[in-house]
Amino acid sequence: MFTFTKTARALAAALAISGALASAPAHAAGTLNVAITQDAGSWDPIDTFVTWWGSVGSNLFDGLTMRGADMKLQPGLATSWEFLDNDTRIRFKLRDNVKFHDGEPFNADAVKFTFDRLLGPEGAKGPQQSNYNSIDKVVVVDEHTVDFVMKRPDPVILTKLAGYGGMIVPPKYIQEKGDAYFTEHPVGTGPFKFVEYKPKISLTLARNDDYWGGKPKLDQVVFRFIAEPATQVAELQAGRVDIATAIPLGLVDTIKKSSIAGVVSTSGPGTVVARYDTSRGITKDRDVRRALIMAVDRDAIIKQLLLGYAKPIASFQGDLSFGYDPALKPLPFNPAEAKKLLAKAGVKPGAAIQLDIRGSDSQFREVAQAIAGYLQGVGIKTTIKPYETPVLINDIIPQGKTGELWQMYWGGWTYDYDNTAYLMYHTGQKWNPYDKDAKLDAMLDAQRNTYKVDERQKTLRGIAAYVADNALEMPLYALDTVVGVNKRVKNLSVPGDIRFRFVEASVD
Amino acid sequence: MIGFLLKRVLQAVFVIVAVTLLVSYAVRLTGDPAIMLSQGAGSVSEQDLQNIRQALGLNRPFPVQYLSYMQGIVTGDFGRSFMGGTSVAHLIGDALPATLLLAFVSLALSLVISVPLGVHAAVHKGKAADQAIRIFSLIGLSFPNFWLALMLVLLLSITFPLLPPSGWDGPVSLIMPALTMAVILSATNVRLVRTTMLETLSAQYVMVARSKGLRERVVLYKHALRNCSIPLITYMGLQFGGLIGGIVVIEKVFNWPGMGTLAFDAIASRDYPVLQGSVTVLALVIIIVNLLVDIAYGIVDPRIRIR
Repeated sequence: MFTFTKTARALAAALAISGALASAPAHAAGTLNVAITQDAGSWDPIDTFVTWWGSVGSNLFDGLTMRGADMKLQPGLATSWEFLDNDTRIRFKLRDNVKFHDGEPFNADAVKFTFDRLLGPEGAKGPQQSNYNSIDKVVVVDEHTVDFVMKRPDPVILTKLAGYGGMIVPPKYIQEKGDAYFTEHPVGTGPFKFVEYKPKISLTLARNDDYWGGKPKLDQVVFRFIAEPATQVAELQAGRVDIATAIPLGLVDTIKKSSIAGVVSTSGPGTVVARYDTSRGITKDRDVRRALIMAVDRDAIIKQLLLGYAKPIASFQGDLSFGYDPALKPLPFNPAEAKKLLAKAGVKPGAAIQLDIRGSDSQFREVAQAIAGYLQGVGIKTTIKPYETPVLINDIIPQGKTGELWQMYWGGWTYDYDNTAYLMYHTGQKWNPYDKDAKLDAMLDAQRNTYKVDERQKTLRGIAAYVADNALEMPLYALDTVVGVNKRVKNLSVPGDIRFRFVEASVD
Repeated sequence: MIGFLLKRVLQAVFVIVAVTLLVSYAVRLTGDPAIMLSQGAGSVSEQDLQNIRQALGLNRPFPVQYLSYMQGIVTGDFGRSFMGGTSVAHLIGDALPATLLLAFVSLALSLVISVPLGVHAAVHKGKAADQAIRIFSLIGLSFPNFWLALMLVLLLSITFPLLPPSGWDGPVSLIMPALTMAVILSATNVRLVRTTMLETLSAQYVMVARSKGLRERVVLYKHALRNCSIPLITYMGLQFGGLIGGIVVIEKVFNWPGMGTLAFDAIASRDYPVLQGSVTVLALVIIIVNLLVDIAYGIVDPRIRIR
C-alpha cells in the first residue's frame, strides 16, 4: 500500500510540474499558427500535387495572375495582358521593382526560366506540367515584357497562372543551389519568406518587408501538419493553433460554443454527385434517372447530415465555378411523380440497384444510407457497396464495372466547369466509361477553343443544362470549406480553395 | 549462447525478407501512386502518368523494384519519398527515436501502475480491494485506446489546459500518449501480476521468509516478485508487437512525430518507399526486442543460461 501511495504522489508531482511547464505562452505575439492536413514534402511549385501546398505556397510565391478570396482574377506579377496574333500569343507586362527573397530581381528572364523548367524534363517528373502544356514557349520581349506562345487555345490558362505550377521561381538561386535544395528551401517573391522546414512536423515563414503588395501585418506564420481532424480541433480549442483547416462537421457546434474560437465557411471547390451507369439496367432509361433524382430529398440531406454546410446543385459544380448558372434549378423532390415515372418506365417495385461509394468517406456513407432510404420510399432497393478509394477510382470506374449509381467527388482549384465537364462527359475520358455523345463532345471541344469569356460561359452553361436534362448524374451538393478560427485573428479572408494569403491578417 | 543467437539472427533475416516482400507486393495492389499523386493536378493525360511513373521508377517489373529496394537496405539506403524526395532514412531517423521513447515510457509507466496493483490484489485475494482492481482492469481492457486518448485531451488540454493536446513540445508532451498506452497495457498486466503472484505466494520459501520475520514488503518485492518476473518478461516481449501496433493509432491522435504517423501518411498517399522503409524498420525493432527478451531470461534466471 505504501508503494502505491508513493507512486500516486510521484505521478501527481509529475503532473504538477508538467502543468507549470505547459503554461508557458502558447503563441508568441504576431505569430499565426495554422494547422494543415498534409505535408506536401516538396515546396517546389512544379512538384506539387497536394492541394495543401497551396496554403503555404500562396504565401511564398506569386504567379503572373492572382485570385482573391472571391476567386476573381486580378493582376499578380503581371500588371496587364493582351491577346495577339489571332489569340496565339499572350503578351504580359511585368511588374517593376520586384525582388525575390534572396535579392535577385524578378524580370522577364525569371518568367522564361520558370516555364522552361516547368515544360522541360524537370517538370515532366511531376504532375504539374500537364496543366500548362498548352503553352508552347515563353519568349522574352524586353526586361519587363514576355510573350506566351500557345500551342493551342487554353481559356483557363490565365486562372492556372494564378496557382501551383505557374508560380514564378528564382533562376539564379535554383541554378546555384540545385533543384533538390530548392525543394526544401524555397525562395519566391511572395508576402512571406521561408525560415524553417521540419518534415512531417512544421514549416515556418517570416514576413517579407519588401513585399510589392504591401508589408504584411504578421511577423510569422507557422504551419503545423496535423492529419487527424479531431486533433486539429483540440489544438484550436486549446488555443495553440489559430486556424484549423480540417473540421469534422460534428464538431462545429463544439467550436462555436467555445469562448476562444469560431467557424468560418465559404463555398468550396468540392462537389458531390451520384453518377449513373447509363449503358445498362434500369438506369439506361432517362425517365428512370430523373425519377431517382426526384425520389431523393437533397435539401433534407444537406440540412440534416451536412448541418447546412453545403449547397444544393443542379449540375456538377458549385456557385463560384465558372459555368455555374443560377437560372438552372435542380429537379424538385417529388416522390409521387417519381413513382409515376418509374411505373411508366416499367420498373417493378422492389427493383434492385447498387450504389458504389468510397469506403473511407464516412460522411458520404451516411448520405448513401439516406439516399437508399429515399429510394426505398419509391420501391427501389439499394445495396451500398463501399470500395477502397483507390480501387474505386483506379479500377472500378475506368473499367465501367460500377453499380447503377456511383459516388463521384470532384472539384479543382481552378473553379472552372471545364475541369469537371470535359473529364466527366467527353467520349473516351477515364471518368466517362459509359457515354458516347457527339453533341456533348462538340460543345466540350468548342469551349476549349475560345478565349471569349461570354461565349465560353454560354457554352459551359449549355453543357450543364444538357447534362441535367439527360440526367447523366444525380446532383447532390457542393461542399462548403469550413475553417475554425481563433477569435484573436483579425482581417482574415478565407478562400474556398484554402490557398490563404495572410497579407492583411493580424493577431491580437 | 552463440549458436542460439546465430539461429535467431538467421530467423530474423528470413522474417525481414518475408515482411518486405509482403508489404512491397501488397501495397502495389492497392492503386497506382502516379494517379494518387496527380489527383490534385486537374486534367492528367496517360503520357503525364507515364512520365511520373518513369521518374519514380515504377515502370520497372516488380522483382526488379523489390531487388533494388533490398539492395538499398543492405547499404542503409531506404530510397526517397515520392512526396518531395526527402530521404526515407532521414525521415525514419527522425521518427524512430520518438516512437521508441513513447514505447518504452509507456511500458515503464504500465509497470509502475500494474506491479503494485497486481501485488496488492494478490495479497488481498477475494477482498474488496482485489475486486475493485479486477473490475478496473476489466474496464481498462474494454476501452478503445483512441477514445481514452480523446477523453484525456478533452480533460487535460481543453477543460483544464495543462498539457499540449498534440505534437512534441518537450517532455510534457509525453504524458498523455504514454498514459493512454500505459492504461491499456496495465489492464492486462495487472491480471498477469496478480495470477503469477498468487502462485508464488503459496510457495514454501515465501512462508520461510515470512517466518524469518522479514517485513512483508521485502517478502513481496524482493523474494516473491523476482520469481514472477519470467512470465512477466515473456509477456512484455509478446506485448511489444501489439504495443507498436497500438502506438500507430495513438500517434495519429496525438500527432506524435513518430513511425506510426509516418506509416499512416505513407499509406494514405501510396508513398511506397516510406511505407516499405517504416514497416521494415518496425519489424526489425520487434525482432530485436524479442531477441533481447530471450537474453533477459538468462540474466534473470541463471537456470536458463545453463540449459
